[in-house]
Amino acid sequence: MTSAQAHEQTLEQKNKQTTAQLIKLLIAIIPNYDDDFWHAETELFGAIAEFDSMALVTLIGEMEDYFDITLDDDDISAENFASVASLTELVLERN
Amino acid sequence: MISTKVEFYQGTKGPLFRIIRTPEKVLAHLIFIAPLFEQANQTRHHITRSAINAYQQGLQSFVFDHYGTGDSGGELTEANLALWQQDILLQLADIAAHSTQAIYLSLPLSAVLLLSNEILRQVDGVLLQQPDFNGKRFVQQFKRLALAAQLTKNNSTESDDFKHGELSEQPLIDIAGYQMQPSLLDALAGQNLNKLADFHIDCYWFEWQSPSEELSLSRLKQQQGVEHKNSKLRVEQVDDVKFWQSTELQIAQAFLRKELRVFSKLAFPQSNSAKLLSSKTETN
Repeated sequence: MTSAQAHEQTLEQKNKQTTAQLIKLLIAIIPNYDDDFWHAETELFGAIAEFDSMALVTLIGEMEDYFDITLDDDDISAENFASVASLTELVLERN
Repeated sequence: MISTKVEFYQGTKGPLFRIIRTPEKVLAHLIFIAPLFEQANQTRHHITRSAINAYQQGLQSFVFDHYGTGDSGGELTEANLALWQQDILLQLADIAAHSTQAIYLSLPLSAVLLLSNEILRQVDGVLLQQPDFNGKRFVQQFKRLALAAQLTKNNSTESDDFKHGELSEQPLIDIAGYQMQPSLLDALAGQNLNKLADFHIDCYWFEWQSPSEELSLSRLKQQQGVEHKNSKLRVEQVDDVKFWQSTELQIAQAFLRKELRVFSKLAFPQSNSAKLLSSKTETN
């Protein structure tokens, strides 16, 4: 395996771990869906009724706590909270 | 049959809605301090259960709404941090005037932002539930509610959830339906652990943490901060739902069981003193 491939594999693994953790946080906040409802492509903002402003802010607090990151007010956008995948991207950018 | 008394207690500025549960033989007193704003609504159902559990262990429990909130008198616009702290001190003094039994405070989440050195000097112990001593962060999160509400309403102009208004001569701030003086948020933002002196009273800290996960850095720092100020700190890990965050009403049974054990220690402190010394951290 080349170093580039190894690097890509590490990134992929980090991506998967981040997604899995985000799903854990989401399940704790929005518990009324089956576990298999949640995956990387699950849409959030505008797609899940329970994902309201309170849930969104709670999630931000949990993300900051768990991933030890700081989000700016500018990060609170429809694009960043569109799906689990976009959230994963946001966390990895800030990490 | 639980002996419950519902009353309007005369606070510093006006009546405070209070529910008092008094056992036949009072072994200690426990005042539940409500956390702030939306957290008060998110924890109310749980506090009721805790208060009943405390009563059943022989603790006289007091549940009340801060001035300008819930069913208490006044408006939030008339409230300030010093007033809320004064109301707590008033109740503590009242209890102490009629009883020699120990007095404890139960402080969930942001309720710890109401703590002052004076309050801590008047009590025998505190029960902290996922406390957040970082006032600046709490206020930041609260203000984010307005941003998030704007987003969910798809409203690019100033929304009803965050606005500055004018009432009399005082500029007001309105976040998610909570209208208040900006000075209240400023005072809360200024609250942090560094403002508290050492307090070597009984201190139970319930931390929601899965056994398979490490404590986050920010939570760890807060725990260490309290550890430096309190030689009696006892951390209880809680592997349960964070009921205050959930979009559905949830009950954290594992937490209630752990809390019940602590209540029994508060009611019978002597018989448990040996156990208290034996282990500093108890896990599930």
